[in-house]
Amino acid sequence: MDSYQQHFLYPSTLYASNSPSLVTTILGSCVAVCLFDPELKIGGINHYMLPLWNGHGLASPKYGSIANEKLLEKLYHLGSKHENIIAKVFGGGEIIDNTIKQFNIGERNIIIAFEMLQRLNVPVLAKSVGGKFGRRIEYNTATGEVKHRFIERTISL
Amino acid sequence: MDKQISDEELLAELKQRFEENKRALLDLQSLNEELIIVNKKLEDSESLKSHFVSNITNEIINPFTSILGLSKAILSVDKENWKRVFSMIALIHSEAFSLDFQFRNIFVAAKIEAGDIYPEIFTVDIKNLIDSVIESFKYEAKKKHVTINVTHCESVNKDKLFVFKTDPEKFKLIFANLLRNAINFSYESGKIDINLCLVDGSLSLCVKDYGIGISKENHAIIFDRFNRLDSGINSINRGHGLGLSVSKAIIDLLKGRIEIESETGKGASFTLIIPESIEASEGFASDANEAFFNDFDKF
Repeated sequence: MDSYQQHFLYPSTLYASNSPSLVTTILGSCVAVCLFDPELKIGGINHYMLPLWNGHGLASPKYGSIANEKLLEKLYHLGSKHENIIAKVFGGGEIIDNTIKQFNIGERNIIIAFEMLQRLNVPVLAKSVGGKFGRRIEYNTATGEVKHRFIERTISL
Repeated sequence: MDKQISDEELLAELKQRFEENKRALLDLQSLNEELIIVNKKLEDSESLKSHFVSNITNEIINPFTSILGLSKAILSVDKENWKRVFSMIALIHSEAFSLDFQFRNIFVAAKIEAGDIYPEIFTVDIKNLIDSVIESFKYEAKKKHVTINVTHCESVNKDKLFVFKTDPEKFKLIFANLLRNAINFSYESGKIDINLCLVDGSLSLCVKDYGIGISKENHAIIFDRFNRLDSGINSINRGHGLGLSVSKAIIDLLKGRIEIESETGKGASFTLIIPESIEASEGFASDANEAFFNDFDKF
């Protein structure tokens, strides 16, 4: 643990680095996909708020469809081969109670993560998704290890 | 399944399943409709994007050409005619200023789309920052004879230093975009009112012009990228429609919001509301949170 770079990941952003980093983020209904390349020992993580870009505003990684593709591209940039990359998926809690199905943002965020990863042929090795709580995760980009904790207070991310 | 069920039960079950199917179909239909709308939007966005590339000629090459031409003309001015140089320098400044501004928006938009943008929080002297932005637009406003008035609410003491924790660079860009639009869409010799308030710990900055205004149905789309309401080739308003979509994304990042009040012909008022950042000014302090992971799961 000598030379880890610390990084706090904001919503709608992504992070990938080939120097060992500890990335912390807080998830409510947002989803974070952690990608890891065990060969090169590098990783990256995103944090998206909504599943699909609907043409509003900028085409940013606020949207899962864009965030997941961009993160994968970042790993390619850092030299990863597609077949080595594995994924871990976190978040998507329903922190606000609701009964209308179309509003289940957390659930829709989770679905898009798994659908995309399956389509892109990236195996998901671990996950902690859904539920009623928010999460705080710390991702070690050098080992692929994720420390994960539920947080009980409701937040609106 | 050899459980016996009565005809009534069978009918009720069938009816229920039909109902479910019907509901599912309706859901699907509404989703499909949504999909068609989204698809249309993506098509529009794509065509606007290609439009954007062709616009670059007007928006970037032309100003460069005039800067080059003007500076060359200055080089060949005789010593006796040096006074002519002033007006040429003013033109160069104006072209360079608008280029610089456009580039800033383009680069920030690229950063946002790459997911590579973070708030960098400092304790900011807001009044000073606002004055410096207005000062930088002095010549643009002068060109159109637009006057800019700044007022403060009671919550912001006029004579006292007003500090606020936020990201100064991003705040500056949002305000500059609002001010630039206000100047652009003002009529000749119009005025712009800027009001600074502190409401429930949030900063509220209102930029109001008395220009052409925005119709109600257009309120929603002005924040979309590459969208300009008036994008004809003879448009007197330059710009590429990135300013407000960039501003909106940065406002989200700062957890703020923006409110529009405008009607066609009645000017436009944009109110920016930003909460004070609770982060330490030094950025993210990780050590203080280490204890949080005493009890965690590993994945």
